[in-house]
Amino acid sequence: MIAPTASRMLRAELRRTTSVRMWWALLIPVVLLALSINVFGGVFSSSLSGLGGETPGVLLASLAYSLSLGSVFAAVHGAVQASGEFRHRTITTTYLTGGRVPVLLARCAVGAAVGAVYALGTLAFGLVAGLFGQGSATFPSPGPLFGLIGSGIAVCALWAVLGVAVGTLVTNQAGAVVLLLVYVLAIENVLSLILRSGADAGLGTGPPAIARITSYLPGNAADVALYDIPAVELAGPRYGNQAVESLAGVASPPPGWACLIVLALWAGAGVAAAWVVGARRDVT
Amino acid sequence: MQDHSGRIAVDGLSKRFGTVEAVRDLGFTVEPGLVTGFLGPNGSGKTTTLRMILGLVVPTSGTALVEGVPFETLGSPGRVLGAVLEAQGFHPSRTARRHLLVCAAAIGVPDRRVDEVLGLVGLAVDADRGVGGYSLGMKQRLALATALLGDPRILVLDEPGNGLDPAGIAWLRDFLRGFARSGRSVLVSSHQLAEIGQSADRVVVIHRGACVYQGELAGLGGGRRGRVLVRCAEPVTLAQALVAKGLMEVDTLPDGRLAVGGADAVLVGDTALAAGVAVYGLVEEQVDLEQLFLQLTGGVAG
Repeated sequence: MIAPTASRMLRAELRRTTSVRMWWALLIPVVLLALSINVFGGVFSSSLSGLGGETPGVLLASLAYSLSLGSVFAAVHGAVQASGEFRHRTITTTYLTGGRVPVLLARCAVGAAVGAVYALGTLAFGLVAGLFGQGSATFPSPGPLFGLIGSGIAVCALWAVLGVAVGTLVTNQAGAVVLLLVYVLAIENVLSLILRSGADAGLGTGPPAIARITSYLPGNAADVALYDIPAVELAGPRYGNQAVESLAGVASPPPGWACLIVLALWAGAGVAAAWVVGARRDVT
Repeated sequence: MQDHSGRIAVDGLSKRFGTVEAVRDLGFTVEPGLVTGFLGPNGSGKTTTLRMILGLVVPTSGTALVEGVPFETLGSPGRVLGAVLEAQGFHPSRTARRHLLVCAAAIGVPDRRVDEVLGLVGLAVDADRGVGGYSLGMKQRLALATALLGDPRILVLDEPGNGLDPAGIAWLRDFLRGFARSGRSVLVSSHQLAEIGQSADRVVVIHRGACVYQGELAGLGGGRRGRVLVRCAEPVTLAQALVAKGLMEVDTLPDGRLAVGGADAVLVGDTALAAGVAVYGLVEEQVDLEQLFLQLTGGVAG
């Protein structure tokens, strides 16, 4: 029974998502941001002049920056998708025709797919815009480019799953979206600042453990995963980590792949919480 | 194990919201081949009970089983049970057809089934409009179409008459009867006896979350006899005389009259004469189901 249930739920969730405008309405700002950020990638090259600005790494870095913003839209889409069911009271029919847990899992999968589409849209439009707009930009070599494509898709998909979890936990649609945005735009930055302030007082033997936590917050983990490859292209293997520190605003980041795992753990924790709360909630 | 019987069995079901006991120790069954009416005034716990049967509300205690198992453990719920719930939502910008296509995919029925149910409820013409522009009656029809998609063995409807015009209600009544005659089960709630009285084979009446009657509709009046309403000079003296004759159901109505249960006008008149109480008026009251329903559910009667 497992396989048919899964395919039924996935098909239903895909239809549910594509039968309203939300997914492509949010794709528009994603593409516009990707275009504008990468056309004006020069902003990056000037801010990174100390690290050797005029390298192909600049385009990769501006792509990573636009992917970081794209992942926020992926998360918002997931949250709107999940909480919209409560807003429009469609959750009753959804639960009656599926089960609570299969619906949640299918929603995560489809949300992740939409996130992946946002990542690919960002990369495609950003790459074209960057090649035209950044005078000295050259097409990135395939290795780093595919690495960035992979981590971009993963980051946007995982943030979309986190969004679904938040939208399932906080069923008030405005509340869910505001919570997500306030966390991403403000709370995590303030937290990082506080955690890093300890590092400045350190005695040069590397940042204290508390400052290292910054890399393990979900937004920063996503940024480290995204900037890992561009930073090496920009600053070389030796100083790549320092470039990541300045780009992502963290202290002593672990490697990008490790941060993807960290982000996946956050997403998993979010889904687990949504599973526990959602399975017992009264739908009245 | 799911028994594919089309039965619903509710046993000892209770639900507490904070300090409010919405449903108290409720027990009844819904049998295939019959329309079971679920009656009670607004706020008596009907919707909460139906939502517990459907696994949407978690009971505080007791069980509600669909075909012998909790609803949420059914393998493909949409093929077993279809539900039309009050205030069921639709996304305003999703068309009726797309809404049904989503549900058809979830239930696992072919897409052509969508056109069948749209035709059945008379929404084929409006199927490609956003549901936001639908009237309440059209939404009720769409909810019914959704419930029928999986060709279920059980239909559960919560106040389906709301928003339907009289022709729509008559159509629904015939439809539900036909559905039950084909050997399937119907559980339909209402706060008005008249609305489902004509189509229900059995009724379950609840008041303040507890069952006050269940059985055949005709039996609703069976245990009860008519009352005699007396206007007299000395109600207290007459009441004592009646009680002395073994008539225990003597009540004083708000307008000062006595209501005597289990007696006829002759007996009450003779008793008044013997007690020397002047009688100004004597009315024999027949049991009327609607009135009885109101009595059972604490409404104003008599």
